[in-house]
Amino acid sequence: MTAIFINGQSVETGDHTTVLQVALANGFHIPHFCWHPELSVVGNCRVCVVEHEGRGVGIACNMPISDGMRVLTDSEPVRAQRKAMLQFILLNHPVDCGICDKAGECSLQDYHYEYNGETAISGDAKLHSTKFFPLSERIILDNERCILCSRCVRFTREISKSNVLGLENRGDSMLVRPAEGRSLDDDPYSDNVIDICPVGALLSRSFLYQARVWYLEPTPSVCPGCARGCTVQFWHRKAEWRLSGLDERHNTRVHRVTALENPRVNGPWICNKGRDLPELLDRPRATQALQKGAPVSLMQAIETARGLLDQAGKRVALVSSWGSNEELRAFRNSLGDYFTSFVKPDHLPLEGEVVEDDLLIRADKNPNTRAAQDLFGTAAAEIPDDTELVLVWGEGVDFGTLPRGVKILFLGSWLLPENGHADVFIPISIQTERRGHYTNFEGVVSPFEACQPHRDGVIDAETLFPLLSAPGGSASGGGAA
Amino acid sequence: MKHLIPEFERMKTRLPPGHDATLLVPCLRRIQEDRGFIDNSDIDGLVEYLGIPRIQIEEVLSFYGMLRRKPIGRWHLQVCRNVSCSMRGAERLIDELIGKLGVQPGETTADGRFTLSTVECLGSCGTAPVVMVNEAYHENLSAADLDALLERLD
Ligand code: SF4
Ligand code: SF4
Ligand code: FES
Ligand code: FES
Repeated sequence: MTAIFINGQSVETGDHTTVLQVALANGFHIPHFCWHPELSVVGNCRVCVVEHEGRGVGIACNMPISDGMRVLTDSEPVRAQRKAMLQFILLNHPVDCGICDKAGECSLQDYHYEYNGETAISGDAKLHSTKFFPLSERIILDNERCILCSRCVRFTREISKSNVLGLENRGDSMLVRPAEGRSLDDDPYSDNVIDICPVGALLSRSFLYQARVWYLEPTPSVCPGCARGCTVQFWHRKAEWRLSGLDERHNTRVHRVTALENPRVNGPWICNKGRDLPELLDRPRATQALQKGAPVSLMQAIETARGLLDQAGKRVALVSSWGSNEELRAFRNSLGDYFTSFVKPDHLPLEGEVVEDDLLIRADKNPNTRAAQDLFGTAAAEIPDDTELVLVWGEGVDFGTLPRGVKILFLGSWLLPENGHADVFIPISIQTERRGHYTNFEGVVSPFEACQPHRDGVIDAETLFPLLSAPGGSASGGGAA
Repeated sequence: MKHLIPEFERMKTRLPPGHDATLLVPCLRRIQEDRGFIDNSDIDGLVEYLGIPRIQIEEVLSFYGMLRRKPIGRWHLQVCRNVSCSMRGAERLIDELIGKLGVQPGETTADGRFTLSTVECLGSCGTAPVVMVNEAYHENLSAADLDALLERLD
């Protein structure tokens, strides 16, 4: 076991090989811009300086461990160098935090307050550079704010491997730029660079000027975009910052999605589809129960559904691969005996979407196929012509493909024309309105929490299933199992 | 660039295996020597030959001022304007060339004869002012020397 001393305190180095890694793992904060745990070490920002006693000051991110070495993270020479580095990094920086989306979660801002705190000592006019340079349909670059740490460049080389970005020219004319004729549109993981940029140089166009980050808070969730089930954070307004001057949609909307680091599933990354979940969640919701297209109360619809269940002979259920583990179990426990059940894909790959790759993206575009198939098997749906009742749970079923004359009980969340074509339509809640778990294709179970208010007229599927089989109705077990 | 590949292959034998990307700068220099500048087709050729992404070649081309993406005149006049040369009259030489050739630094005459550039120290401060014409140094130049020199360049 190797041990080193940080600020006089002995710490084990574990598997780590550099002073920065050991320090961070043991709760000593050393500022760093260019170093990132998943990227190669370039050592270009020089703010991570520490003092190796007897050897002088050097950068911690590239300082190898040696047994018994003594390191100081906050000595006088360290403070002086850090300060000088921050002055240097800010030489041509516009300090336009007031209109910068990164303000509030910017390393440069934080380090400036913590380690520099002085106005510029240079009297030279700042150099101007490109603002609003489009790197793709999704991302714009503000070169004046860029501190040339090269994290974004290394991401496209080492992680997404799109090799789109580079650093062109030299010195204070150096610019992050895409290769000629290319753009970040070629990179399905591009938006990660917005997260790893330590400053506000890389900006999401969909989040641009949408909200100051301190009005928002994150709720841990799971991306339903594919069977990887990346863990994510849904950012929405804090309850105390829901303002009467904003409409309901703004007050409750998911404003952005970021990765929730998870070594077992997605590391610190997600794909762009995960970033676009707000669009999926913003689709018009169904909140009205229907009977052959006519509005009825939720209780009335449940009552009618129970009647259908009761009268029908052959019953088939198409189970949602977007149901949570809890909902799937509730279905099996309450209704499993009434139905021959098949798991269906609620979503198929969209046109132009990356179907599968060897980083994260999976071909199955549903979050919980694994858990559903563990309970209901992997067989493709087969609906005999003499079926009398089909329960459709979730999206992805064209009613035209169901046997003629069959009764349809449809559980859905979105405002769709099909809702009115079902014999009974019951509106159910979506992922952001309830808590639960998904099981990804490798069997890793991840939790998600509610972050949007439950809507009137909508019921959780988990609550609904026991009601459909409740003994109050006369439905009896022992149907097709 | 393709006809230079046998030469590049010989350079490769001086490197440990797996370090082909190291050949980028020597290859670019050789291509420039051969063609006069680096063409887009050369970049594509190197992407394939060295197996490195295009952006890394663009980075190198934009970093080194001596690598050119565009053709230049038959005679490339590079006037040093660093401290020693400036103190010994380089600025006057530059003004004279601008007047005579009718182009600004960075430009090529319409007849394709001359390209005028200003450069940093050529490492020959003891014989300032210095003008490099293609690969040759011309030292201790007076305005009259420069006139005579231009006459000889067709
Ligand atoms: S854009 Fe951001 S991540 Fe990229 S080099 Fe500049 S500061 Fe670093
Ligand atoms: S890889 Fe799949 S689960 Fe992960 S963010 Fe993309 S779509 Fe969502
Ligand atoms: S973090 Fe060490 S030099 Fe940038
Ligand atoms: S300053 Fe011109 S050669 Fe050195």
